[in-house]
Amino acid sequence: PTDTRGAAQQRARSAPAPVTDVTRLCVCDLLVAQCDPNCCCDPDCSPEDFGLFTSCSGPVVVGDSNLCRQKAAVYSLDVEANPPERIFQLIDQVNPSIFCIHAVNYKQALHLKAPEMPSAANFDRLLREFGGAAFSAEPQEWREDTETPNPPGAKENHTYEFGAPVQTEDAFLRLPSPVVSSWCSDANPAGFLVSQATKCIRSVSVEKCESIPGLSMLFYINSSILAVPKSSQRVNVTVQSIVVQSLEGGRTLLEGSDILRLPVASGELCSNVVLGVSYHITYTDTGEIVEAAAAFVLGTITKEALSVQQSFQISFTQVDTKPVPLSGSPGYVVGLPVRAGFRPQGYPFTSGIIESSNKHSQLSILQSSPSQDCLAAQGPRAPVLFGHNMISGCKLRITAALKCQPLAQTLLDVLKGQSFPEYVASFGNSQAQDVLDWVPITHLQLSEQRLSNPLQGSCQIPVSLGIEVKWTKYGSLVNPQARIVNVTATLSTTTLKQLPSGRERIIPVTSSVVFTDISSPAEPGYKAWPTINLKLPFDFFYPFV
Amino acid sequence: SSQLSSLPLQILFYVNGIYYIFYFLATLAMIVYKSQVFSYPDDFLAPDLAVLFLMAILEVPRLYLGCKGNLTEEEAPLGLSLGITVGSVVLCVYLLAWQTYVLWADVVLNAVLLCAYGLESGLKVTVIAAFVS
Repeated sequence: PTDTRGAAQQRARSAPAPVTDVTRLCVCDLLVAQCDPNCCCDPDCSPEDFGLFTSCSGPVVVGDSNLCRQKAAVYSLDVEANPPERIFQLIDQVNPSIFCIHAVNYKQALHLKAPEMPSAANFDRLLREFGGAAFSAEPQEWREDTETPNPPGAKENHTYEFGAPVQTEDAFLRLPSPVVSSWCSDANPAGFLVSQATKCIRSVSVEKCESIPGLSMLFYINSSILAVPKSSQRVNVTVQSIVVQSLEGGRTLLEGSDILRLPVASGELCSNVVLGVSYHITYTDTGEIVEAAAAFVLGTITKEALSVQQSFQISFTQVDTKPVPLSGSPGYVVGLPVRAGFRPQGYPFTSGIIESSNKHSQLSILQSSPSQDCLAAQGPRAPVLFGHNMISGCKLRITAALKCQPLAQTLLDVLKGQSFPEYVASFGNSQAQDVLDWVPITHLQLSEQRLSNPLQGSCQIPVSLGIEVKWTKYGSLVNPQARIVNVTATLSTTTLKQLPSGRERIIPVTSSVVFTDISSPAEPGYKAWPTINLKLPFDFFYPFV
Repeated sequence: SSQLSSLPLQILFYVNGIYYIFYFLATLAMIVYKSQVFSYPDDFLAPDLAVLFLMAILEVPRLYLGCKGNLTEEEAPLGLSLGITVGSVVLCVYLLAWQTYVLWADVVLNAVLLCAYGLESGLKVTVIAAFVS
């Protein structure tokens, strides 16, 4: 009895013997003790089941096809007979190739290797060979790849790369930002050349306001910045300006911003709490940081305040250049204002385009006001931001007393604004002196003619201004830049009908901006291989030619 | 004519030499092909290659001694050549039947070589008998 148990255990440990008889092999027999549909070799199928099949999946069962002669089981369905019958044939398949295998003296050549079953004796060896988190053919190489000696962002010649965290003495330059929720997380590093502006909420209490590090100026200018990664050159963060915000919200710029103002808790208030920090980093074109300055906004918190909102900003300027706010470089960036300007008349070869100094008012449309009255005093106009389609409007109350011509002029001013530009920059960084980089605005006028009453004095008043900006993708396929190709301002007018006195009508007046992408689909292409054009000099064969 | 050297045997030696070069290169190429296409572990590949190279090494003295013996009408080199032929026949039978993979081309090449060996052996025995008597 012990012998049989041992033998049974041995049998259980080894894998079942491979089946090589073609008459007993069936690839499509997947269901046990059930007939698989369209499986002609399934032994569980009865002749009635065969009558329902349409075709045979897996018609031929053979061993290795390289053998010269072998038995093959061929299953087919005789559809002529009614009901269809399955035909089974055992034929000799001959491989006509001269390189067919005539005999094999290595038994395991044509079968899969039986896997080694783990037992008490070979378990350690198998674990060493195959154990591990990743099952790969070369485990040695995997382990070596995971060790990265260099942290990201540090190149061999040690300069900052775009996006690399700006390193300071202890860790990184911190730009607190909201992570997951709106609460400030101090572990967000500032990336080199990545201009960011974040707002987050910090929990405060007046009693502990002197001890919370995120509320004091010292926290933000304490550690000096490394000029290049992993070096000993230090750049101290200087205090550029301090603006003090009162409880009501009024801000005053402090004179003499050298002194460090730390939070002071006095009774129910805590003053000199940091409400905003704006870093300005100056860098060279080799990736070194030469200057760092921080502008602070300090405020006061009351006893009831449980949290305070802080805003942080960082911007980068190259040395010896003045920061010019561009709308993109070179293509327009979605969300930045569209640049537009005028060309002074009378000079056929003018020096350039004149832009308004306020970038947000170069091209603007009517901004809807709460009163919605077109004839009321106008408030600020909304700047046209690239990529943002906008529509706005107001309502015009027409009474009998209104005169047509002044009304038309007023509405034109309402729709177009005081200075509607003539040219729009095609690129976000178009220079004022390159006139060809600027696109002229095309004006269209659509008037609604009422042909029914030609005799009535027609008076056209503008009721809608639609600006359509057509832009295209320009440049490389990998990094397309947005370029404005065409700007059309369509002014629609309608006839103002004279109303009988006492009646009034309300007409909607709208203005809209639409950005349309007219880029044609791009095809990737490769530049032609450079060719070598060798030509002998003209008089190479001088004495003979 | 008192010439006892056998012309057919000499022709057979000559043809055998040329055929053997072709046979050696073809069998070597087929072993390389088998090792790429089929599963050919190293401890099965080594004996097959060893047998092939051993046969090539034996072939040279076998043909030389046979030619020399036939042309100088001496029975000693011919007898030695006959002995080496027996060894070559055994190796040829190994490559015909007991190789790891025997392809149909292998069967054809080795069968032709075996025929040549058989014919040569018969002629050598006849020639030795003619020399001795």
